[in-house]
Amino acid sequence: MLKWYEQVSMEPDNNYISSRIRLVRNWNEYNFPNKLDVITGGELVERLEFGLKDLGKMEKEEFLSTTTDKIPETERLAMKERRIFNSAIAGKASPTGLMLSESEDISIVFNGDDHIRMQLLAPNEELNELIKKADKLDDYVNARFSYAFDEKYGYLTSFPTNVGTGMRANVVVHLPALSEGKQFPNLIAGMTRFGVTIRGVYGEGRENYGAFYDVSNSKTLGMSEREILDLVSKVASQLNSQENQVREMSLKNHRTERQDEACKSYGLMKYARKLSMRDALTFLSQVMAGISDGIIETKMPCSLYKLVLGIQPNNLLMKQNGPQDKDNLDILRADYIRKELPELKEEMNG
Amino acid sequence: MLCERCKIREATIQYTEVVNGIKKEHNFCTQCAKEMNFGEVSAIFDSEFPFAKILSALLGEEGKEENADFSQIVCPNCHTTYQEFVNNSMFGCPDCYEVFDLLIGDSIKQLQGSDQHKGKHPKYGVKIVPQSAADKMSTEADQKKETDQTQEKGKAVSGKPDAEGAEKAQELRLLRKKLNQAVKDEQYEIAAACRDSIRALEKKTDKKSAENSGKGGGKNA
Repeated sequence: MLKWYEQVSMEPDNNYISSRIRLVRNWNEYNFPNKLDVITGGELVERLEFGLKDLGKMEKEEFLSTTTDKIPETERLAMKERRIFNSAIAGKASPTGLMLSESEDISIVFNGDDHIRMQLLAPNEELNELIKKADKLDDYVNARFSYAFDEKYGYLTSFPTNVGTGMRANVVVHLPALSEGKQFPNLIAGMTRFGVTIRGVYGEGRENYGAFYDVSNSKTLGMSEREILDLVSKVASQLNSQENQVREMSLKNHRTERQDEACKSYGLMKYARKLSMRDALTFLSQVMAGISDGIIETKMPCSLYKLVLGIQPNNLLMKQNGPQDKDNLDILRADYIRKELPELKEEMNG
Repeated sequence: MLCERCKIREATIQYTEVVNGIKKEHNFCTQCAKEMNFGEVSAIFDSEFPFAKILSALLGEEGKEENADFSQIVCPNCHTTYQEFVNNSMFGCPDCYEVFDLLIGDSIKQLQGSDQHKGKHPKYGVKIVPQSAADKMSTEADQKKETDQTQEKGKAVSGKPDAEGAEKAQELRLLRKKLNQAVKDEQYEIAAACRDSIRALEKKTDKKSAENSGKGGGKNA
């Protein structure tokens, strides 16, 4: 079965990479995880996992059911890189349960920051589909475990930043052209006024390698799920259409330069023997933009986004047989990309 | 503008200091701001949980004087203290919301832009706090001979909102807010009056809902 991130398509005018909805809920029979001892925490995880053991039948998908301490550290960190859980959960020592669907689109974490953290991921912009699925899943869990809920504060969570709907909706957009503009920081600052957070996905400090931007709602209380969803998708769609405008202009005025850039990036990745994270993401981003604009074409339709996740340090280490050598990550990355990079159409080579 | 401390990175934080009426403005980068000690506000620059910790910063600054009294408040269910909450920005159990409501309600509003949930309600188990939890609360109260705070809680819990109830709830909320303000201003007489009205209102709501459920049953029969 294909993973969700292997289905991210690259088409003209579609710069959406992925959508995500996360709901946090707490079972009203227990204290929040930070006030549970190891034994009670373990009991909570067992009871939740047992209660939801038939989830696979409802979702019509196989589910892996485990606890995070049974997963080796590298794999756990690799899962974090694939956004299955956040770093707080990946580094947590106390018992934490995980149910993960085969295509990795649905994950439920028990006893993380909260008792139940449900996350649904989908390729491209699918928020409307996701909310339906999330709603169904939420009701399914709720039928088995009654939630801590308050008329005033809504769904109660350990962090006051999640209280209310307990929902975070994210859309990742790819903005290689728009983010080059001088006005881009102002544009982002202006958009955050509407109550969204926009963050670069990869990179340190002010740099954002690969120009992937994550748009999510900043607030969870006082807005309904529908309002949150509309806000996030509206902002994401604004960014998407602005990116389209800039890309259209660049194609009209600098077609050869754009083609040159995409082909050079492809060539570098195809023959490089060492690639840093920064270089790899930059080149991948340029090739992805080239493919969606139709200036370079691969033999078979493919998802390069899979590579964006695949070149992350722990995902590389996981693929390596034998001892894991963290010093050779750049070599591993280049090897991996050479192997996975799709071939270009014949006429492109001519 | 460059950071005035390291003179290397871009300054992103403007720090205004007022000492004896003299205002001084400083510009720092995030890294330097983190290294310098700004007291309670430093939590903002913690890279781990910047967003979540903003609340700690707000409470820490605001509540400095009152903290001495507030820090004695402990959630009877999970024993989270107010100080613990200020430090970690984390609640220990669903009851904490009610216990600390008066102290943090305003900050939550500042943080979230609202203090009233809108949107989905749980489909199942609509009881706000399950009977089991309420029972647990009251037995604990008995054991510890806790004051009326916990009993008040029990009552609030059983008050189910209907059309009229919503109005009552709104009134209750306003009264609680007034109470909060009165405590802050050390107007204890006003606070006591508010507390009494809250209790009276809660009793009324309780009776009403009991009657209503009785009526409903009669109709069905």
